[in-house]
This record gives sequence, structure tokens and C-alpha cells, in this order.
Amino acid sequence: MDTHAPPARAPEGRHRRRAWHVVLAAATLAVLAACGTADDPSREAAPRESTGQPSVAATPVADRPRIVALGDSLTAGYGLPSNQGYPSVLQQLLDEAGYRYEVVNMGVSGDTSAGGLRRVDWALEGDVRVVIVALGGNDGLRGLSPADLERNLGGIIDRARARGIPVLLCGMEAPPNLGASYTREFRAVYPRLAKRDGVTLLPFLLDGVAGDPSLNQADGIHPNADGARRMATLVLSRLEPLLDRRGTS
Amino acid sequence: MTFVARMAVREIKASWKRLLFFFLCVAIGVAAIVALRSVVQTVRGALQDQARALLAADVVVQTNRPWDDQTLTKVDERLAEARVAARTELIETTTMVRPADPAKGGVRMVELQGISPGFPLHGAVVLQDGVRFRHELLADRGALVRPELLVQLDLRVGDRLLIGDTSFTIRGVVASEPGRRVGAFSFGGRVLVDRAELLGTGLLSLGSRARYAIMLRVPDDSMEQLVRTLRRDFPQQYVSVRSYRGTEDQIGEELQRAENYLSLVGFVVLVLGGIGVWSVTRVFVHQKVRSIAVMKCVGASSAQVLAVYVTQVAALSMAGSLLGVALARLALLAIPSRWLDGLGGVTPSLTTSAVLQGVGVGLLVSLLFALVPLLETRRVKPLLLLRDQVTAAPPSPAERRRLRERVVGRLRGTDWTKVATAFGVGLALALVAGWQAGSLRVGLLVSVGFLAVALVLGLAATGLVRAVRPLRRVRVFPVRHAAISVQRPGGQTRVILIAVGLGAFLILGVKALERNLLNEFSIEARANGPDLFLIDVQPDQAEPLARFLEGAGLQSPARLLPVLRARVTGVKGRDVSLESFDDVRSRGSLAREYVVTFRDRLEPNETIVDGQFWTAAPATDVEVSIERSIRDRFRIAIGDRIRFDILGRVIEARVTSVREVEWADTRAGGFMFVFRPGALDQAPRTYIAIARGPGDAAERARLQRAAVDRFPNVSIIDAREIAKTVEEVLGNVTMAVSVVGAVAVFSGALILIGSVAMTKFERLHEAAVFKTLGAGTRTIAATMALEYGTLGLLAGAIGGLASVALSWVVASRVLDIRWDPSALYVAAGVVITALTVTVVGVVASVDVLRRKPLSVLRAE
Repeated sequence: MDTHAPPARAPEGRHRRRAWHVVLAAATLAVLAACGTADDPSREAAPRESTGQPSVAATPVADRPRIVALGDSLTAGYGLPSNQGYPSVLQQLLDEAGYRYEVVNMGVSGDTSAGGLRRVDWALEGDVRVVIVALGGNDGLRGLSPADLERNLGGIIDRARARGIPVLLCGMEAPPNLGASYTREFRAVYPRLAKRDGVTLLPFLLDGVAGDPSLNQADGIHPNADGARRMATLVLSRLEPLLDRRGTS
Repeated sequence: MTFVARMAVREIKASWKRLLFFFLCVAIGVAAIVALRSVVQTVRGALQDQARALLAADVVVQTNRPWDDQTLTKVDERLAEARVAARTELIETTTMVRPADPAKGGVRMVELQGISPGFPLHGAVVLQDGVRFRHELLADRGALVRPELLVQLDLRVGDRLLIGDTSFTIRGVVASEPGRRVGAFSFGGRVLVDRAELLGTGLLSLGSRARYAIMLRVPDDSMEQLVRTLRRDFPQQYVSVRSYRGTEDQIGEELQRAENYLSLVGFVVLVLGGIGVWSVTRVFVHQKVRSIAVMKCVGASSAQVLAVYVTQVAALSMAGSLLGVALARLALLAIPSRWLDGLGGVTPSLTTSAVLQGVGVGLLVSLLFALVPLLETRRVKPLLLLRDQVTAAPPSPAERRRLRERVVGRLRGTDWTKVATAFGVGLALALVAGWQAGSLRVGLLVSVGFLAVALVLGLAATGLVRAVRPLRRVRVFPVRHAAISVQRPGGQTRVILIAVGLGAFLILGVKALERNLLNEFSIEARANGPDLFLIDVQPDQAEPLARFLEGAGLQSPARLLPVLRARVTGVKGRDVSLESFDDVRSRGSLAREYVVTFRDRLEPNETIVDGQFWTAAPATDVEVSIERSIRDRFRIAIGDRIRFDILGRVIEARVTSVREVEWADTRAGGFMFVFRPGALDQAPRTYIAIARGPGDAAERARLQRAAVDRFPNVSIIDAREIAKTVEEVLGNVTMAVSVVGAVAVFSGALILIGSVAMTKFERLHEAAVFKTLGAGTRTIAATMALEYGTLGLLAGAIGGLASVALSWVVASRVLDIRWDPSALYVAAGVVITALTVTVVGVVASVDVLRRKPLSVLRAE
């Protein structure tokens, strides 16, 4: 499965970058809560040795119509090699099913709905046929207000619809430790938006993945390769109705 | 036996002045060892206490899932093996709190900690207003909160607070709490409640984010073992184990550095003390050879002679050692207490191990170096002793053959008693030195360096003796006689060279390390380092936020840095994936995305090591500046093109410069990739604001509250607690290192002065003869100055050069700090060494120069 050669480890840089990386880590913190327990922030953003082998996802897909995956670290595939994040798996699944789309990974680790709203225009340029909106995980982990979440996601949906691009909205849950009232309000945002705007809803992006140790990385937040595969299948099930059979060409 | 005692007493009476000097030198050496090691042990103990308090325990075993039975059984099993002295459990989670009074608005994220009785195992929870922390405060839904929270939610002690849907009463305000080292970095202040009541809030269910920790007090000797076993038992990362000695973070690293430095100095001073005692003993015994010969001539047996002198040396060194202990005690009293204030008011006192060690070294070294030459006299004919031929002049080429025979003969007639004695005493000495040595690695490094330098110095002595031979025919009296004196049998040249050279080596080495270490600490503790970070600032909020922060009473103006996420997808036209799966998996927190920025100038913590940083002129091309480590690891050169994927857009950038970032300097952050402005202007980005927040806690809280109100999506990370902790730790280690360094240099210098001064006794006779023959005081002084000056310079130069190597090896291999050779510093050290040796050598003999020669000759 993993055909990569073992990385030739270059000597680790001084550990001195720590202080700054604590900050970057917080900023990058994929989906945040790793914060307090983040094992070693200094390793964050430390570059790894390139083994120089060709990237696996090198199929010529750039000329196809696009499916944009707008999201946070769950989309970016935090902690996974780039060909194992859910958008890459989705690409494979689509290819296998005979669709001709390019799935564009617009995941930014640590991003919130507020950030998503700011970059949606950039994300939607070009021949975009569907946008998958999977944001809110960081809003939840940071305890940001559900009202703001709703406003931001609503804004994203509006921009997409203004361009005539169908939206697949993926729901998220806030962790129960934030309190019942918060999680309740948070959870209600997604169906309400979907209903209001008539967009397709995937009720919970991590359905069947969250809370299962065998599908998550050790941080308990980010899915592992198997978890990402599960996510891709889940997304595909709601995405298919939005696609042209056999794609367009 | 009475003969032995009588002779010993008689000898002491006859040459009491000389003996007094021997005795004092031993005392100084022993005092240095005892005092410094006591200080080192006290300081080290205090630093360890601090490290424990930072963790609130010796060992913490934690997981991000609730303990399941299987895991817990396994952990319990290991804990039983490790003879755990105390144990308490803790749960930590983030949650939202709001005032129970619905009239009061506001909701805040906090770090909720559920603690059990017994917490903390180390350190103390300090409450404001003199309230003493007791676990009972938390009974019946009591909560302790940080002062910021009261400001943010407009609450007072006694008010009620909603945690989840459960109402808690605020019972006190936490001024400082232990355990800051773990999870010190969070989005909210800490709130302490009882663990059982935290479980009762219903906040913890499937999907909750929480840290479940078992805190332990473990005997030091089983701690490492426990940590190792548990780590082996739970290779999956969800159970993690850390001890207060852990170096996973900056604090741990600094403490470890200080610890290593302290054990280095402790060991060095032991060696220095040993050198001091060795050199005085050597001179002392050499003086006695003549008396021994006389005693043998008048019929004393070898055993009797031996007994007389061994008794004498033992008695004197014992007395000297005891005096040394007394001196050490005085020295400790003399250390101003404010030097050690930061360490929780510890006062260094004599530690038993330091006393035993000091006395042990004093006795053993003097015995070792007295016994060996004394045993030698057993087999030598008195006449030879009288003729001073024990150590003959260097062999001429013609004598080579005879020399060879002599060597063979010597081998055949090896004096096994002597060898066994030397070996036995040497072994005892090594044991004493190794006892409580702290870091074995440091000890080994120093020992190897020490032996190497001793060897070089020995060779240098031989070389010098050869080199000055032609000078014996020089007409200038001082030069001629200085040369002759250097060559004089008796090996005084060697003694001074080795003692002073090793001394300079160790002292300059310690001093250089101290400087490099303090330099490191001062960079890391830079007082205006940022402690307030605002993340996820959106482009349209950057302006208003900057204006908001201007009026917020910051201690240093805020800086806003644009940040983007980028992936590297190609280098030099090749597709690359920057890491393998295993690599990603083995480092759970590794993000594949780089955080990049763009700007038009260099930051103060950056230097260009290759290429040229762009000027403000508009770019025709997309340019990127890379960090040195990127260049080194990916072998990217100036002019190479790197392909980035920035949110689905492919951007190819040409590398135009390589920067080296000073990572310890946090004021301006550090980026692996910096782009030239222009290319990314349209790309989605966020900003990070970095600032040093107001010093006053209430003001900080107000600032945060106002910021959250105005910019709800911006999260504020208040790193003040951790910054403060780091600063405190740095302050303490800085102080520890300076105090110990100062004491080491001072006592080392004293020891060396003593051993150089001791050599004057070898000069008395000669100076007196010269004077009788009409040499002027000045001429004799010049001769001595020349001789001591040469020896001091040579010893200083060798020691100084070797100290550069020592400090480099220790700095880079053990302490892992930047190293600055500071040539000027070493040069100054060499000059000071040479001058000191000259001045001490001449001044010690001042009385010889002043006194009438006859009195000296008579005393002989």
C-alpha cells in the first residue's frame, strides 16, 4: 500500500524553534483542541526530507470541471499523505465510477467558517460545478458563537448560489464538553440552513468515524486513512445526485 | 611506633611554616570542592523542585480518552512495581462558562480542571487574599477561578457560575497553580473543581475532548524505569507519559541544560581541587627526600621512614581537609542570599555528600601522591637521594643504550607494592569522584578532555625543557638561569605546566560555557517577547484590529502577519511529495501544509545566507525566500523553482534567497517560506497578531473581552502564563549558572595560586645562593619572572586552546546551544593566566628576596 521509500532523515533542526511554533501550532492547529495536549509543537511545520518520488495523484485532471472541497483540516487531510485525504479518495472513487471531475482540495487546517466566507470567491473561480462546504469544526472546538457560524455558512452558500453552483453542506458537531446548550444550538445550524436555502445536506461529515479509535489518528480528532475513506464514501453518496452522469466533457 | 610519632611531631615543629602552607593549600582545595558541590546540589535540588511543581507531580500518565479497564489495569500493575508514593487523578477539558445570573451576559471558554484530594503532589495552589488552598473549598460544587475570568464575566467570589448546565459557587481566586507545564497553552483561564463533580456535569460523553491524567509521586530511582516501561506498554500515542525530567518542551530543555552545566562544574571543581592537592603534595614530598636520606643513613628502616611521612601527610591533609570544610561553611555564608532568591528562598548549606567527597579527595589525593614517591625511596640508595639523582638529567644520545637497559631492568623489578598502592588509592579516588557526579556523559567528556590535555601538557613540558637548552649559553643572566631553572631536575616545570594548564583549561572552559549559556538564556528570555496571540484574523478585520490594539495598552506594538497555507508539490520540475506516510504517522502533529507569508523586508531575527532578498521594486517573477533547513534538507539551490499548491492554485516560485531564522527570537516569528509581495495579494489569507499584552492581569482580561466582543471569530491565545513560567525558569537557571560559575572560577584561581606559590620552596635555596654570590634582588626577580612567565604563558595557551575545544564539544553535544568561540575572551584568559602565574611566582618568593640569605641557608 505504502510504496514510499523510508525518508532519509536529515538532522532535526535545533529544537529552538519551539516558542514560535507554539504559536504557529495554535494558528495551524488543525482542528484546534489538540492545543493543550499537542505533543510537540516544534515538530509542526518542520519540513520533511523529500524522497523525490513522483506524487501519486498525478493524473491529468486539470482540464476537467471542478468539484471544490472547501473545508478545514478534515478536508486538508491533516496528518495524512496528500493522496489519502478525503478529497483525494473522492477523486479516485469518482474516477472509478466513470465521472470526469477534478476534485480541488481547498481545505485549510485551522480554518473557521469566518475564514471560509473570506476565501469562497477565490475558491469558486473557474469551472466549478459543485462546492462541498465542510466547515465549522474549528468554530465548535473554539466555542465560537453558533449565530456567527450560521451567518458565515449562509454567506458562503449565498455566494455559491449567486454563481449558480450547487452546494453540498456537510454538518459538524461540537464536542459535548462545551455543554449541552452549546452543542444543541450548534447542531441545529446545519439543517436550518439546508432547509432555508434548499441545499443538499450531509448531516454529519464524520458520521461513523468520530469516536471510533480505529478510524482516527492518535489525537482523537483527525481521521486516519480508513476514516478518510469512510468520509469520502459518505460524501459521495450525497454528491452523486448533484453530478452529471459520466460528467461533462 | 613512638619513634614514628615523635619524628612526625619533630618534623612538624621544625618546618612548621612550610607545613602550614601545605596544610592551607589542601584546605583551599577541599573547601572549593565542598562549597561548590554544596551550592551545586542545593541549586540543583531547587531547580528540580521547580520542575516538579511545574508538572505538579513526578510523573504524569495521561490519555485523551476515558480510562478503560484494560488500560487502567495495565497502568496499575506498572505503578505497583514502581513503588508509587502518592497518586491522584485529574481530568481537564475545555468548556463554556457563564454567570448563573441571567441578567449578566457573557460566556467564556475556560480550561476546566477536575482535581482529586491530594492535588497537587508537588508545588502549591496559591489563592488570592491569603486564602489557603484546601480541597474542601471545592466541596458542594465549589470552583476556583483565575482572576481574568471574574473581570471577563463581571463576577465576584461567592457568585455562582454555570459550567455546562450545572451551577458552581466561586470560592476563591487562583493566583498561581502548579502543573502549568502541561496544557499551559489554552484559550481560556483555568477553573478548578472537584473531579467527581466534573464527571457529574455530563460534559464528558462520547466525543468530548478531555485529558485524563494520573499524577504520581515516584521515588527517583524507579522513575525513569517506570516512564520507560509505560512508554513501551503503550506505543500507541493515546497514552502518554512524562516525568518532571522530561525535555519535551522548552522548560525541560533549559532545566536539563542547567543540570548538565551544574554537574559539569561540580566535576570540574573536584578535579581542580584534586590538582591543587596533588601539586602541593608533590612539592612537599620532594622536599623531604633529603631528610629521608639522612634518616636512612643513620639507620632508620624503610618502613619507619615511610610511616613517619605517611603519618605526617595523613595528619596534615586530614587537618587541612577539616579546615577546608570549615572554610566552605564560611564561604557559603558569604554568598549573598538575594542571589538565590528566585529559587524559593533556598540557602545553600553543606551537604553530607559534598563534605565526604571533599575530605575524601583531600585525603586520597595527598596520600596517593605522597605514597608513590615515598615508596620509591625505599629502593633507592641514600647517597643517590642526597645527590639529587632520583630524577637525573635528560639522557644524552650516548646514554640511550644504557637507558634502554634501565627500562628493561625497571620492568623486571617492578615494585608491585607501589603499583598496587597506586592502583588501590586511585580506584578509591575514582569512586569518590564518580559518586553523585550527576551526568555520566559530562563526566566522561571532561575526563577524556582532561587526560588529553594532561598528556599534551606533559609533552609540552618535555618539549620546553629541550627547547630552552640552547639558552643555557646565553650571556644574559636572567635568561640563562631561567633556562637552567626550567631544566632543573625535580620536575617542577612539569608540575606548574600541568597544574596551571589543566586549571586554565577547566576554568576557561567553564567560563566560556557559562557565557554561551547565559547568552542563550538571554535571547530566549528577551523581556519583550510576545505573549498575546490573536489568530484567525480575517483580511477585512486586519485594519480595524490594528487600530483596536493601538489603544489597548500593549507593552509593545502589535504586529500583524499575513499567513497562508501552502503545499509544496514540485521542486525543480519534479513532482515531489514532501513526506512519506510513515513519517506523517510517526509524528501525529505534523501538518503537511506549510504556513507561509509575504513581505518586503527581512525581520530582525533573519539573516540572508545565500542569494539576495528582494528590494521593494515590483517583481516580474514570483519569488520565494526559503529557510536554511529547507535548503539543506531538500537540496534546493538559488534559482530553483518550487511549485506550490495554494488552495488549489498552482504557483511556481523562483528561489532567490536563503534565510537563516533565529528561532529562539520569537518577536517576529519564523517562516520556512516567505514570498515576495505581489503574487499572493489575491490569495485568501488570515492574519496573526503578535503582541506583548498589558502586564496587569485585569487589563489583559478587559482587552480580551473587548476584542472578543468586536471580533467574535478571532481567538486569543494568552501565553502569558507559559511565558512567565519560561521567564522564571530562565531567570533561575541564569542565576544558578552565574553563581556557580563565579564560585568555580574564584576557587579554581585560589587553588592554582596555592599550587604555584608552593613551588617557591624549591627556590629558596637557589635564591639564597645567588644572593650570597652577589646577585641583586632585581636580577633574581627577573629570572623568576622570566621562568614563571614562560611556564604560565605556555600552560595558559595550551589550556586556553583546549578550553575552546571543551566548550565547543559540551555546547554542541551536551547542552545543544549556539557556540561562540570568542577568541578575544580566550586570549584574555591566556594573558591573565600568564600574568597571574608570574606575579604569584615572584611575589610568593618576595620574602626570600628580602630576607638575608644566611637565614634561608641555615634553615635548610
